[in-house]
Amino acid sequence: MSRPQDLVQGTLDLLLLKILALEPMNGHAISQRLKQVSGAVLQVSDGSLYPALHKLEQQGWVTATWKVTENNRRAKFYALSRAGRQQLDRESEAWTRLSTAITQVVNLGNARG
Amino acid sequence: MTVERLLHILRLRWLSLFRRNQVDRDLDDELRFHVEAETARLVAAGQDPESAADTAYRSLHGLERTAEQCRDTRGVAWAETLVQDLRYGARTLARNPGFTLAATVTLALGIGANTAVFTLLDGIVFAPLPFPDDSRLVSLQATYPAGGLVALREQLKTLDAASYATAKHVTLGAPGGAVRVSSVKTSAELFTVLGVRPAIGRVFRSGEDRAPGGRIAVLSHRSWVARFGADPTIVGRSVLVDGTAREIVGVMPPEFGFPASAVELWLPLTVDAGDTVAYWAGDFMPIVGRLRPGVDISQAQAEARLFQARIGERFPWRMPEDWNKDLTVIPLQQALVGDVTPRLMLLSIAVALVLVIACANVANLSLTKTAARAREIGIRSALGAGPRRIARQLLTESALLGLLGGIAGALVAVQMLSLLKIVLPPDTPRLMEVQLNWRVLAFTAAIALGAGCLFGLAPVLQAMRLRLRDTLDSAGRGAAASVGAPARAALTIAQIAGAVVLVIAAGLLVRSLWILTSADPGFRPDAVVTARVAPAATTCATAERCLVNYQQLVTSASAMPGIRDAALVNTLPLTGEVAKRSLQLEGFVPEPSKSAPLFWLHAITPRYFDVMGARLEAGRAFTDADVSGHARVAVVTATTARRYWPRESALGKQLRFVGENEWRTIVGVVGDLRAYDLTRPEPEWIDGTIYVPFNVTATLEDGAIPTQMTLVARGSGTSALSVAALGTTAQRAGGDLMVSDIRPMSAIVAERSAAPSATAALLVSMAVMALVLGSVGVYGVLSFLVSRRTRDLGVRMALGATPKDVFLLVIGEGARLCVAGIALGVAGALALTRWLQSELHGVSATDPATYALVVLVVALVTLAACYVPTRRAMAVDPLVALRDS
Repeated sequence: MSRPQDLVQGTLDLLLLKILALEPMNGHAISQRLKQVSGAVLQVSDGSLYPALHKLEQQGWVTATWKVTENNRRAKFYALSRAGRQQLDRESEAWTRLSTAITQVVNLGNARG
Repeated sequence: MTVERLLHILRLRWLSLFRRNQVDRDLDDELRFHVEAETARLVAAGQDPESAADTAYRSLHGLERTAEQCRDTRGVAWAETLVQDLRYGARTLARNPGFTLAATVTLALGIGANTAVFTLLDGIVFAPLPFPDDSRLVSLQATYPAGGLVALREQLKTLDAASYATAKHVTLGAPGGAVRVSSVKTSAELFTVLGVRPAIGRVFRSGEDRAPGGRIAVLSHRSWVARFGADPTIVGRSVLVDGTAREIVGVMPPEFGFPASAVELWLPLTVDAGDTVAYWAGDFMPIVGRLRPGVDISQAQAEARLFQARIGERFPWRMPEDWNKDLTVIPLQQALVGDVTPRLMLLSIAVALVLVIACANVANLSLTKTAARAREIGIRSALGAGPRRIARQLLTESALLGLLGGIAGALVAVQMLSLLKIVLPPDTPRLMEVQLNWRVLAFTAAIALGAGCLFGLAPVLQAMRLRLRDTLDSAGRGAAASVGAPARAALTIAQIAGAVVLVIAAGLLVRSLWILTSADPGFRPDAVVTARVAPAATTCATAERCLVNYQQLVTSASAMPGIRDAALVNTLPLTGEVAKRSLQLEGFVPEPSKSAPLFWLHAITPRYFDVMGARLEAGRAFTDADVSGHARVAVVTATTARRYWPRESALGKQLRFVGENEWRTIVGVVGDLRAYDLTRPEPEWIDGTIYVPFNVTATLEDGAIPTQMTLVARGSGTSALSVAALGTTAQRAGGDLMVSDIRPMSAIVAERSAAPSATAALLVSMAVMALVLGSVGVYGVLSFLVSRRTRDLGVRMALGATPKDVFLLVIGEGARLCVAGIALGVAGALALTRWLQSELHGVSATDPATYALVVLVVALVTLAACYVPTRRAMAVDPLVALRDS
């Protein structure tokens, strides 16, 4: 198994916000979705997922509710808040700018070569 | 940030702080759910249940650690650790009651003393005056006669000026009987300038201070309540003031007392431009003013200086060149409390030193504790506490101790403040207004926390250097403890230095006080009783009637049992009252820039010098013949004689009052009486003192004889008997004269030394405190040094060192500390001489004898403190010491 790539805390926030933008879900489901969507490239260790989720909640970008699942278990479901939606837009924009800039630098030599 | 988000965040914080258990359970549930869900997924994917559970569990990289990280995101970690630290700190302090008690008491003394003195400073020097817009009130550091005041008001555009004469005692005809009260004559605008409105009635109106002058008066609130029973019909009532009927036009509000809270009656001046002498040479009065809008103090000063440069021309005679020379305009508050500020600053420095010493003591105690807690800190470090966390915890503990000390200190402050109010002289300005207020409490709190952090730094710095290995290693016991030694030595040196400074200051003050009170006052106050005498309404309508009455009084008083001699004088020594008169002296021509010599005129009856016990140095005193025969004679003091006739006897020389034709002959020279204060026979602005017989020729500046006299009587019995007896007999014999204020002369003398006595007493008590604290500090540090070198000493003794060698070794360490501390202390005392000098009389602030004595005392005390640890060192059993390691 390859070593999971450690993501910068900031981009993890962006990913989580985006996933929650689609629909509310609990931590386990978020972890699965992340692996699914990114084709198993982004392997976020669950040990850093939950602290990140809690930080987002403490900052008010996501809200949490407790629901009872089919198996009669209490589970914590996260959903994007209104402020969180705005934060998501801001972070996506920032990411796009950053990645464009990096791509440009990386492709520097290629145009000539 | 939207409101919604803010509320959400606050709600979460609140839950984290106050519903912590619930939040923790939720976190637990959430993570467990994850593990179960992951297990289910892996099982569904084909893994066997057990290994699936295992993998699921491990996916969280440690349930507890993940939980911990989640908890860390809550943003209330700092609050939680603070609570934790406080709880732990409290428990630690409770476990060491000895240390806690010693530290709290030490801090309470230091903080309490500081708070009390700062309250004084705040209430007297810093607090604004109780007048509206008091920052606009100024004082011209200059004095003018009535004519000067009138010109000032006409010409100055930058401020509105007003003035007041010196407070005098007058006889007030109160319902309960005639009584002597303090009264002040003021210019009509004084109340308006100050901006004070009366509680009832009105104040003076413009023009009411011009001759013939309104026969009106304003009453103080205290007087109105105490003497007139708060009579609501007081306004318009007529009362007798010094025999003249005056109408009370108003009563001032309760807090108003200008220029002193003792003043009960305000009367208008009677400014008469036609009476040249009174107009231009009467009482020279201070000027207060209110700056006009848009003007600042420097503009006012410039204008006032211009005025001063030109006013001399308006005088009918030449004014001395140095009159009002360096005229400055200063804020009124500064002028009112200026005198007492240096003394308060001295006290502040002293208590600050005590606080520093106290903190040093507590720091030393803390260092001992930290060294003993080395193992505990080592274990905490091993369990994962970073150095910052440990430091924070130790600092919190110190802050807690500081807070305890602060609370106890506030209690000490309250007590000390009431003590200070009693001990300080009652004429200290604004003393009665001083109360503890919120600013002072804030200051105490700041000191408490500051002290806490200050002495908390010491163990913290030490703790940061403790390494895990060193502390858990039993042999390292010595190594770890040795880290604190230079810090402790420095603290102890600081303590000794502080104590030295305080003891030097106290010693100098005590010496000064001794010189002050043991100085020969030029008369013998013991067994002398004094009483103020004032005429009733018409007693002194003519000078002859006045004199006859007074003569009767003296005769009756002398004939009383228990009284040997009685006499009269117009101004009693040490009461601050001066009667001035310009003189021409035979053969003396004043310099062109100076005016005629100004003398202090005493009108006395013949027995005065005998009663007071003054020494006649040459010639004779007055006789009854001089009095009745209107002989033109005079007696001068020795200093005056030396000043004007340095190389010859003053006897036979002639002098006369300016404005009179007849010359007087000097028939006697009397030894100086310290009449102005305990150190001076006369104020600087007086050129000499003269005594004349009390008859019709004894005229003051206004041309009339003095009508208010003081009776002095020397008793042959105990002074208590004389006071009571004199009272009744004098009342009876006086007839048309009112006798009041009967006091022994010794009480008046004691009053004069009240302020330096109080200062000396305060400083002595602080010096004692400092010395005790310093000795305890030396003892503590030396014990510590000895205990850490037990093994070392054991080795030495095993190798053949005698007890004497050990003694010298340990005493040597103690002596080194003492010497360093004393040297630093002496340097500090020399640096503080400026503040000290203003309080000292007759002794220099760098007096070598006092310094030498103090150094000796402190050296002895500190060496004595070294005694016990040294003995313990000498008693070290080498076998035990070596085995203990």
